[in-house]
Amino acid sequence: MNLSLRDVRHDFSRFLLTAVGLGLLLTVVLAMTGIYNGIIKDATALPDSLGADLWIVQRDTRGPFAELSRVSSDLEERARAVPGVARARSYVSHTIQRQLPNGRPLRFTAVGLSWPDDLGGGLPIVRGRPLAQPHYECLVDSSLGLSLGQRIPLGRDVYTVVGITDGLLASGGDPSAFFTLSDAQRIQNDVSNEAIRLDREARSARVRQSALGRDPELVRFSGKNAQLIPALGPLPVSAVMLNIDPGVPLDTVQARLQGWQDITVYSQAEEHGLILGGVVEKTRLQIGLFRGLLVVISAILMGLIIYTMTVDKIHSIALLKLLGARMTVILGMILEEALLLGGIAYVLAVIIGNFAFDIFPRRVVIENEHRLALLGIVIAISIASSAIGMKKALAADPNEVLAA
Amino acid sequence: MSDPIPAVQARSLSKHYGEGNTYVLALKEATFQIHPGEVVALLGPSGSGKSTLLTILGLINPPDTGWLQVGGVEVIRDGAVVGDANLIRRRNLGFVFQRSNLIPFLTAEENVRLVLELDDVPRREAVRRAREILESLGVADRARHLPMQLSGGQQQRVAIARALIHEPSLLLADEPTASLDKELGRRVMELLRTAAIERGAAVLVVTHDHRALDLVDRIFEIEDGVLDTEGAKLRGATR
Ligand SMILES: Nc1ncnc2c1ncn2[C@@H]1O[C@H](COP(=O)(O)OP(=O)(O)OP(=O)(O)O)[C@@H](O)[C@H]1O
Ligand SMILES: [Mg+2]
Repeated sequence: MNLSLRDVRHDFSRFLLTAVGLGLLLTVVLAMTGIYNGIIKDATALPDSLGADLWIVQRDTRGPFAELSRVSSDLEERARAVPGVARARSYVSHTIQRQLPNGRPLRFTAVGLSWPDDLGGGLPIVRGRPLAQPHYECLVDSSLGLSLGQRIPLGRDVYTVVGITDGLLASGGDPSAFFTLSDAQRIQNDVSNEAIRLDREARSARVRQSALGRDPELVRFSGKNAQLIPALGPLPVSAVMLNIDPGVPLDTVQARLQGWQDITVYSQAEEHGLILGGVVEKTRLQIGLFRGLLVVISAILMGLIIYTMTVDKIHSIALLKLLGARMTVILGMILEEALLLGGIAYVLAVIIGNFAFDIFPRRVVIENEHRLALLGIVIAISIASSAIGMKKALAADPNEVLAA
Repeated sequence: MSDPIPAVQARSLSKHYGEGNTYVLALKEATFQIHPGEVVALLGPSGSGKSTLLTILGLINPPDTGWLQVGGVEVIRDGAVVGDANLIRRRNLGFVFQRSNLIPFLTAEENVRLVLELDDVPRREAVRRAREILESLGVADRARHLPMQLSGGQQQRVAIARALIHEPSLLLADEPTASLDKELGRRVMELLRTAAIERGAAVLVVTHDHRALDLVDRIFEIEDGVLDTEGAKLRGATR
């Protein structure tokens, strides 16, 4: 005869209510795990989807995700010449916050892709197509809420959404949008006509004040578009992404590039480390701590519940001892009830999680391994808390039955 | 009393509680025997040692000294339990108390057959025997009721069934009729007596109810821990 099932059935509504409460608590534990994983996934989704083997950044910076990095745009050409380098692409990114004509705020990280080498074909595009024109097209992440074909004015130009990606957030949690490199730079460096006019005037004034001002050709030039001035050169980029020829060891290429005094080279794994160890570290630790705390709270609560359930039937336990029940029968009953409670709560948590986590604002990533880990934790908590009940049961005195 | 082997045989059972100022000798050198099917009443004023004797016989509290044999098997030697006390309780002892005898989350039938199932008797046989004994005690129609759905008298009858189903050598009862009214108490005592005799159990029943003494075979009297197994005085007065 199964005593635990009969005991549970006897006051089933109370047991179920307890299980539901515990289940909701476990749902939060699961949610914390999912948010923790989501933070890591979000932070690394962009570098992962770009699929670079090595990242060249400004010397001694931890860029381009963890901090600002500026390298000259001809670095792409220099790197391409290194033996073992199969592909070199420039990368620029900056976060902008604008408003759509209808007043809706629009905040995203604009990423520049090397035209025509990288059209965004490697990105997880769920609708639409990669970039096909050198200008005025963009791919945006679905979390931005824009639709295919939508036209967004940025600076002095209007860009058309030609593709939608999924799950590509920048390390700050903002959605990404992809442009050609020059478009991205244009958006980044967009200034008003008046600012350009003032800038050119100031430049001409500086030239005239120096010895250079004796050359009338130079004075004339200084008032023109900055890009046309040989001394000023093209705009810098954030980083250069390299892909290595198959069969060539990554370390060799990295060591060789490391010799260049103007740059620092990170592998993809090192970039991961920089992002997780820097950009999202505090959030990650915070959530991790919160999750740990919730597990402890669940354990304490469950211990209390099992203890109370044992105390509630201490008379029956004393009676069972008097009837000569083996200790394993009594302890088994307590353990089974704890496992049953934990099991129901766990199943509830998984079911609720399956429905609820989709409507969370941040990404919640739950894989089977995380569900299994939670199951392990629940079983451990159940066993530990039944130990508290068992201790009480072992102390139950058959004399209490006589005294009653 | 024709049976040559007594159901219970006790020699020099003594028990004290406390030390120094609080020292109480609750049982002094109790020696007696009870035969199968024999019903013995244990009478005595409050604090005289009745429960103490019962808990020693029930292997709940060990005596200081003494020797005890139940169902022909030695269970206490020199004040210590010999063998597995749980096993002896499961096989050879039955208990009925004043009240709260039953496990509240089990039905009457489950309470009764629990004793058998704790000793690994197959479920089918346990169910059959439980129905049988509930029938003989007149509560078969309440087999599927939970204890709280039963009256006091019904609860005590189920408790008696529970105490006797495994055919123990010794049934220990501590004021089993105290919470019942006089008529009902007497009826329950009659049932207890009949069921015990049918199953060959020796019964030691603590009672304050002198009016039911005509239902017992012998009377033990206890005062200040001293057991008088003749109980001659009371017996003469009531019969
Ligand atoms: N656990 C204990 N610790 C100390 N003294 C005890 C303990 N149990 C019983 N006593 C003492 O032993 C003596 C016998 O007690 P016991 O409970 O056997 O009496 P009783 O005959 O059952 O009384 P009642 O009719 O009131 O139930 C009493 O003096 C009591 O105070
Ligand atoms: Mg007593």
